[in-house]
Amino acid sequence: MRPETSVGIIGWGSYIPRWRLPLSEIAKLWGFAPETPRGLNVVEKAVAGRDEDAVTMGWEAARNALLRAGIDPKEIGAVWFGTESKPYAVKPSATIIAEALGITPDTMATDLEFACRAGSEALRISIGAVASGLVKYALVIGSDTAQANPGDILEFTASSAATALITGPAREAAAVFEASYTYVTDTPDFWRRAHQPYPLHGEGFTGEPAYFHHIVSAVKGLLEQTGLKVDDFDYAVFHQPNGKYPLAVAKRLGFPKEKVLPGLVTPYIGNSYNSSALIGLSRVLDIAKPGQRILLAPFGSGAGSDAYSIVVTDKIIEKQDKAPRVDDYLNRKYLIDYATYAKFRGIITRIR
Amino acid sequence: MRFSIPRYWRERHSHYRLYAKKCSKCGRVNYPPSNICRYCGSTELEDYYLDREKAKIISWTIIYPAPEGFEEQRPRIIALLETLETKTRIIAPLTDILPEEIKEGLIVEPVLRRIKEDREAGLIHYAIAYRPVIGSIGTNKQ
Ligand SMILES: [Zn+2]
Repeated sequence: MRPETSVGIIGWGSYIPRWRLPLSEIAKLWGFAPETPRGLNVVEKAVAGRDEDAVTMGWEAARNALLRAGIDPKEIGAVWFGTESKPYAVKPSATIIAEALGITPDTMATDLEFACRAGSEALRISIGAVASGLVKYALVIGSDTAQANPGDILEFTASSAATALITGPAREAAAVFEASYTYVTDTPDFWRRAHQPYPLHGEGFTGEPAYFHHIVSAVKGLLEQTGLKVDDFDYAVFHQPNGKYPLAVAKRLGFPKEKVLPGLVTPYIGNSYNSSALIGLSRVLDIAKPGQRILLAPFGSGAGSDAYSIVVTDKIIEKQDKAPRVDDYLNRKYLIDYATYAKFRGIITRIR
Repeated sequence: MRFSIPRYWRERHSHYRLYAKKCSKCGRVNYPPSNICRYCGSTELEDYYLDREKAKIISWTIIYPAPEGFEEQRPRIIALLETLETKTRIIAPLTDILPEEIKEGLIVEPVLRRIKEDREAGLIHYAIAYRPVIGSIGTNKQ
């Protein structure tokens, strides 16, 4: 028996800010070809308001996960926060969220960093912690107000959103883990040096040797380990830096488009980094039926990918309506212009 | 530092969770918390957190002059609210709403937000603000 099989998802929840920047605004301001957004298969990106950050968004996603879990917050024994846009360089974000949700003080809490897959690493660690009996429940959060150098191609997709998962004993879970597999190497596809406000990327490096190689390797590793085949999965959710890559990697692995689209959120809100693949999983859990099997494959630059096989249980039905769904947040939107976005994201420099 | 660190820390449960006291005798919620019920004088009160309740807007004011630390949130919208379950009245900032979208009776819910920050290097102060419940206000999508 794999350790994963004793662990499942007890609650899940996401958060997307109300504000959306049409990508045509970026193309217009910085002189990109008007068809650039279409090339990325993204229409608008979600923008956190002036009073929001990775902590406040993570708080709301976690609150939604708690509503679905229906457990006493004091029973959570670990709060692990994956982000690359934490409000403090030093001072944990995880403790702010843990305190604000009434989880403190008898809990572990820390922030993790691995570009876009820190939250996924936290998920794998939580499986180990729950399976071993070290903790009963763990709260895993992926949250980012992704930054991009103004005028860089990354600015089209760098967006804001959060997703939280509460893992716990399989017998209480809405979906149980079947297996998980991680593949990492030292690959220089994307980085941000200390004290630099924006990340840089290795141009042609981001696709083939980074995103595609790592996700394909992780998924193949999972399939070899379990003997599962592509046809055994009802949904496939990949990291989604834009609206095209997930469909391309799916095609390469043999997954039809129909199994990818339910978990493809980036075309509507952009790439929310640590929430990117997880919000796709969240949207699939919102509609999944008992017995269905989900492939989840987050990716983080630097680089690494995790592949999970997750099977939905009967308990999912009663939990789906206990908190707002991803689509409720997708429908809650108000379009803003570039100037408002620049103010909200602190792009305008002022003396404070 | 412009803002008191000990005070923010001491009051964190008020800021993060709207910590209050609920009277075991008359059932009313005392907010800010008090050890003697200000409605019936009882000393039997238990901890209560108002962040579990939605609320409705009674009235509001739009404040254009911003004190130091609030310049980027100008104008600030402060509302008088009444929570739906315990009918507790509280004053709190509104967020994720435009001035023209506010109306009496609108149902709002508590969310954790950045309320102020102590310049660029100091502490960030988080606290509860209220925003319209999901799905209750519209979009400007053409
Ligand atoms: Zn009383």
